[in-house]
Parts: sequence; structure tokens; C-alpha cells
Amino acid sequence: MIGVALRRVGSAVPVLLLVSLITFGMMRLIPGDPAAAIAGLSATQREIEQIRADLGLDEPFLMQLLHWYGGLLQGDLGRSILMGKGVVAVTFERLPVTLGLSAYALVLTLIIGLLAGIVAALRQNTAVDQLAMMFAMIGISVPNFFLGLLMIILFSVRLGWLPTGGYIPFTEDPLGWLRSSTMPAISLAMLQAGLLARITRSTMLEVMRQDYIRTARAKGLPARQVVFKHALANALIPITTVVGIIISLLLSGAVVTEALFSIPGIGGLLTQAVLNRDYPLVQGGLLLVTAFLVLVNIGIDMLYAFLDPRVRYE
Amino acid sequence: MKRALTTGCAAPALLAASLSILPAILPAGPAAAAPFACPSRGGNLVFGQEANVNSLDQMTSSTISTRNIAMNIYESLVTRDENNKPIAELAESFEESADRLAYTFRLRQGISFHNGKPMTSADVAASFDRYKRIGLQRSTLDNVAGWETPDPATFVIRMSKVQPTFIEALSSFSVPIVIIPAEHKDDAPQQLRPVGTGPFRLVEFVPGSHARLARFDNYRPNAAFEEATGFGGYKQACLDTVTFRIVTEASARVAGLETGELQGVEDIPTQSVEAMRKNPNVTVLPLKNWWIQIALPNTAHAPTSNLRFRQAVQAALGMEDIMDAATDNNYTLNVGFQYPNQPSYTDAGKETYNINDPERAQKLLRESGYKGEPIVILTNRDYAPMYNAALVMQQQMQAVGIKAELKVVDWPTSVQMSQKVNSTEWHFFHSGWGTQPALGALATMQFLAAPGANYRPRDDKPDPEVEAAWSDMNTKPTEAERNAAFARMQKLVLERAYAYPFGSLTKVQAVRANVQNFRPFRIPRFSNVWIKP
Repeated sequence: MIGVALRRVGSAVPVLLLVSLITFGMMRLIPGDPAAAIAGLSATQREIEQIRADLGLDEPFLMQLLHWYGGLLQGDLGRSILMGKGVVAVTFERLPVTLGLSAYALVLTLIIGLLAGIVAALRQNTAVDQLAMMFAMIGISVPNFFLGLLMIILFSVRLGWLPTGGYIPFTEDPLGWLRSSTMPAISLAMLQAGLLARITRSTMLEVMRQDYIRTARAKGLPARQVVFKHALANALIPITTVVGIIISLLLSGAVVTEALFSIPGIGGLLTQAVLNRDYPLVQGGLLLVTAFLVLVNIGIDMLYAFLDPRVRYE
Repeated sequence: MKRALTTGCAAPALLAASLSILPAILPAGPAAAAPFACPSRGGNLVFGQEANVNSLDQMTSSTISTRNIAMNIYESLVTRDENNKPIAELAESFEESADRLAYTFRLRQGISFHNGKPMTSADVAASFDRYKRIGLQRSTLDNVAGWETPDPATFVIRMSKVQPTFIEALSSFSVPIVIIPAEHKDDAPQQLRPVGTGPFRLVEFVPGSHARLARFDNYRPNAAFEEATGFGGYKQACLDTVTFRIVTEASARVAGLETGELQGVEDIPTQSVEAMRKNPNVTVLPLKNWWIQIALPNTAHAPTSNLRFRQAVQAALGMEDIMDAATDNNYTLNVGFQYPNQPSYTDAGKETYNINDPERAQKLLRESGYKGEPIVILTNRDYAPMYNAALVMQQQMQAVGIKAELKVVDWPTSVQMSQKVNSTEWHFFHSGWGTQPALGALATMQFLAAPGANYRPRDDKPDPEVEAAWSDMNTKPTEAERNAAFARMQKLVLERAYAYPFGSLTKVQAVRANVQNFRPFRIPRFSNVWIKP
């Protein structure tokens, strides 16, 4: 198993190199001047040219590429143009915020999505099924930005239960973190929960029609044991695949949610970096996020073998 | 004879009036009335700021979001008052030598930094050293030969050539030369340790989230004034803490203000203003003249290289409709490149403004020989007012028979495209001028002078008559002469349609009703602001 994991990590290296090359090239291909973005709205051309020279943005493309890969080989992802700090430091300041929020949203997604999907499958074509699927459709259809706004109006402005925005680190105040992260996590989770509920329902329905389920029922096993030990265990393989995708979607979906709820996460940071053409931060930040997602997917692959012994990694 | 400037109770006005001619030594008189005293001390104020802050290094950032916070922490030798006139801040007085090649600043005594160290001329010199090395607007010091510190309370700037506008440039708040401890002079760009002399000190800064400031107990207010004025004056921190929270979503700012989580916010969207006005817990504070909405032609490329064509466009424009769309009806019509409340404001060239005469436009169009070629209006969606203004301008141009098209890119791209010499990619570029018009005519008109005149003349060679007026604005010895040169330059620019200033935008700020003495300005100032118990 360890050998398999190492081989997977090894195979991720070309992926990361390719991602870094594409990001590097894309940032230079799109028009837009980082110096203009830094200089702000009222800068004169002279000031913009001065910044450009200060940042070495007038170097040829190949020289910039060589500097980038030279630094990368030494573990140096450069310095953010906007913030003047190392890209690794800036990214690791923000990444935990988004990961914490995404983890909270993932827990909600799993609870809501799996529960709604299982219940809908077990009560197929009943009012419960209709209700669960209607809920799933609403989750899929309502944009998380709009949902977030509605929640702010209801839970913050009208009821005063939760803060309108802001972020409190978990390490400082766990309860404060929970209060500040609950609405963002729900608005992030609803879309994914809707997707997961629909996939869980269809997978469960397929599994529940299998012969071994019929046999288990014929043997007189309790319904709970049939559902959770035999049906759900076998439905988990496709669901696990979807969860891997959901983790990626949660990270990317956090951009909008972070902006709405004023959360200083990686989504907002990278969006700002792209808009301001902060080349080192986009290149380095995306590389680190990609590396994280590659690791998540390797973890999911490993999980298959654990969930289904038929899957072999020889 | 040396000509000196100080700040006393009446000094600010005299100072500004005398900047051009520096007629005599002004005595530093005592304040006429009792200085401001906080009616109530204490409280924590949270302010919802619309834009992100990446760094608090005021020497290397020109962004408004940085200035909003940093200018509550740092101070400079000279700054601007409420009407954007230069006033002394950390300087007690300053004088110009008879040959106008030296400025001697006497520093205020008893000033200390937030780290407890007393401020001396060595710190001022170190601050100038850093600014000269990496300051974003280090061209301010182009005519400076060097500086000296004859004693701990004196700082002397030596000029390499006479620059009548030097104090005006030095007092600019765009990217000010803030005074920092000498030991911070080698801090990297964007990495300046946030230690200043201002009434608030930085407690915590989390980029993308918030910056928390606390009262600096050892702050010594400028006794030459009775009240805060502009960026200077008699400042006191009445509040215990001020937290700038980054809330980029307008609706979230409004919700925060309604619940009381935020005690102040900037940029209330128009659709919420009425509701906020009706809310007894909220005070709405419009800040007029936030920026000038503007479009600039590309005069290196046909047909905008043709004066008749540019005048045809000028004749077609109706400014009410453009400004209404651009600002959601939060605007003031005004001619030219200064705000109407400014001393250098002039309506020279007013006959070119807001003509809105389609027949005249069509006549000029025929005279220009326009053959129906596509006209590209370059704009962006990053700044909604620019996009909306471009949209209405397109419709008004189409109404007179011009085949106008929008080219929408993001802001950095549009700036890059607009700066290309002899570009054929666009005909009109939409922008907004905010800080520079507030700083005065000199700061504004540099946009229309070489190098890089915003109307993009062929081979980057601007109109000689406009350049001559610009030269007079910089070199004429008296303010009256410089103002006359500005009026001449504005008239030329408007008559030759090198720019289409549409009007000025109003920014709406708001605070909770118990927040007292918060006066809208170019930054949210928290000195002398207090919370009613």
C-alpha cells in the first residue's frame, strides 16, 4: 500500500510541473499590467513604468520562466508583488481558513446529502422521496451567493443570531469560529449536498435491487443492517468518487462565499492575485492548491482499496 | 532674507495663501479657542471597508484602501487641510531660503513613535532616504539635491533647482512621505513595520480580513490648531480601538450597519441609501466630489486624431444621462478638472461641456469626413461607473450616427492598452480621477502632459500649447499666475477635446447614529470621533 501511495505521489510530479507551466504561460498570455494594478486608479504613466522596472517585469519571457523554475527547484515560489511577502507564507496564512471552512461545509454536505439520498431511496416514490429531491433541486438551483444573502437577512438582520460576516480563527475562539463559519458553510454546502443526495439516491436504488440485498432480506436480517452494512457499504465507491470532486468544488466555490462573508481565505486571495496580475502569487498559490487537491485524490484512491477489497493496487 | 511659514490659529489659511510668494515670517501664535477635548473616551468602533488591503506600507502603496488605514497611523512633515491646502504637521514651522533653493523645517518637540522612541531629524532624514529609494512617487524629490540634519530638531532640504510648487508636492497625500523610525529605513517594499507617530497605533493586521488600531496614549496633538482639519490639525484619539474590517460586498456592509456589528461603512449602494436614511440608528453622510468620471480620446489614431470628429463626439454628449447611469444618480455636474469647492476650480472651457446637441454633432461629423468606421470605446467592469458611463456614451454616439462599439476588458488590461504609444486598438478610454483632482490642479493636469499624456498623442508628443501652459503651471512664481496657467490649459484641453470630463461622483458613507463627529473626507478619519454613551 505504501509503495502504491509513493508511486501515486511520484506520478503527481509531472502533473504539478504541467500545471505550473500552464499557469505561468497563461498569466503572461493574458493582457494586463501588474504595475498598473499596483499603481492604482490615479497613477501616472511615469509611476507605472517605474513600478514595472522595480519589479523586473520588463525581463524577457524565457528569463522569467528560468527564474521561476530555478526558484521552484530550491523550494522558493517567489514573493507576492502586492503583499511583498513570500508566496508560501502568504498561501499558508490563508489556506487553513479555506480548508477549515471547506471541511465544515463537507461535513454538512455529507450529513445532509447522504441522509437525504438514503431516505429518498428507501422511500422511493413517496412524499418523503419527493420532498428530499425537491430539497436537492433547490440546493442545486439556488446560487450560493443568493442563499448567503438570504441567510444574512434572516439570521443576522432579522433574528440577530449570527454575525453578518467576519472571521474568527478556531484556535482563538472555537465557538466564535462556529458562529462566523456556519452561514458560509451552509451556503457552500447546499449545492454539493443537493448533488450528493441525488447521486446517493440513484446509487442506493441500484444497489437495493441487487440479488444479495434480496438474499439478505430473505435471510431475515434487520432492515438497518441491510441498509447500512450491505447496501450503503457497496454504494460508497461511487459516492467516494463524488466526494473527491466535491472537495475540489468546495475549494473553488469558496471564492464567492468568502467575498460575501468577508472571510480571508485562499479563494479571495487568488482571485485578487489574478485580477491584479500578481504573477508569483497566482503561480505559486495555484501550484500549492493543486498539490493539495492531488493529495486529496490520491487519498481517495487509497480509500477505494479500504472500502472494497476487490480493488487491488498491485 | 528667509521666508518662514508656521502654523498658528490663523496660520493655516495664511500659510496656504502665502505658499506662492512666501511674503514674511509668520509668528506662531497661541490657539484662539480651547482645543478639541473628547466629550467621551472609550469604545470600540468597527468600520466596514470596501476594498482589500495588502500592505500598510504607505510609502509604496497608492491605493485608497491602504491610505484609509495607514493615515490614521502615520504622519508627515507637511500635509493637507480640510480644503486640501498644505499645512504643517510634524513640522512646527518651515522656511524657504531667499534663493528658494533650501527649505528648513523646525520639528515639533515631544513627538514620539508608537515604539516609544522620540522623533528627531535623524528619523525624518531616514524616512526621506527610504522614500527616495523605493517610494512610489519618488519623482516628488526629483529636484531635491539632498537633505541635512543640523540638529535633532531641524531638517533642511536642499534643492537642485527652484520649484515653486515643491511644498504643494511634498504635502501630497497620494503616497505621502510618512515619517518612520530611522531603524526601519531599510524595510523592504510593502514590508514597512507599521510604527508611526499618529493618534492610533496598529495592534493587529490580518490581510484580507481586518486591521485593528488602538489609541496611542503618548500622542501629542498639534497645538497650533484647535480641531482636526484634513489629514492634520489637532487630533485626539477618543476611541479605545478602531477595527477596519474588509467587507467587499456592499449588501453585507449594509447588513452589518443595520445590525450594529459595523459602526461605520463606506460606499453605500444607491438602492440602500433611502432605507438607511429612514433608519433612526444610522446617519448617512454623502461625500461629494469623490472622483471625476472621464473619457479620453486616442489622438494618435483616426478618426479620433481629427479635431472635428472629437468635437462632434463632445457635442453629442449629455452629461446628466452619463453621470446618472455611472453613479446611480449620485453625482454633481461640473466643468473641467477640479471640484467646484476647490480654490483652483475654473469653468474655463464651459462652452464645450454638456452640449448634448445632436444636430451640431452631426454637422461636425460631416465636416470631419467620418465614413462610418467602427469606433472602439475601451472600458472595464472592475469599476462599474466606468462601464456604465461608456455604455451611455456609446448610445449617445450611435444616436448621431457614429458606429460606436464597446471593448470591455479588466482594469489592468485597459490601462495597459491605453498606454501603448500609437495604438490602433481603441478610440476612447474610460477612467476616473479621484485623488489627483483632490490634490489640486497641478497633480491633475500631469495626466494631460508629457510623458504619457492620457489623450495619447502620436509618438507621445503632446500639443505644444498645452505643454507651454503646463510648464507655466509648474514654474510661474505666484499662485495667481499658476492658476491662470491652469485655466488656460483646461480651456485648451477642452476646446481641443483631449478629454471629456463628465462630472463628479458622490460616495456615500454612513455611521451608526451614536458615532459623533465623523466627518466624511478622503479617508475615514477616526481622530476626534467619539461614541455617544
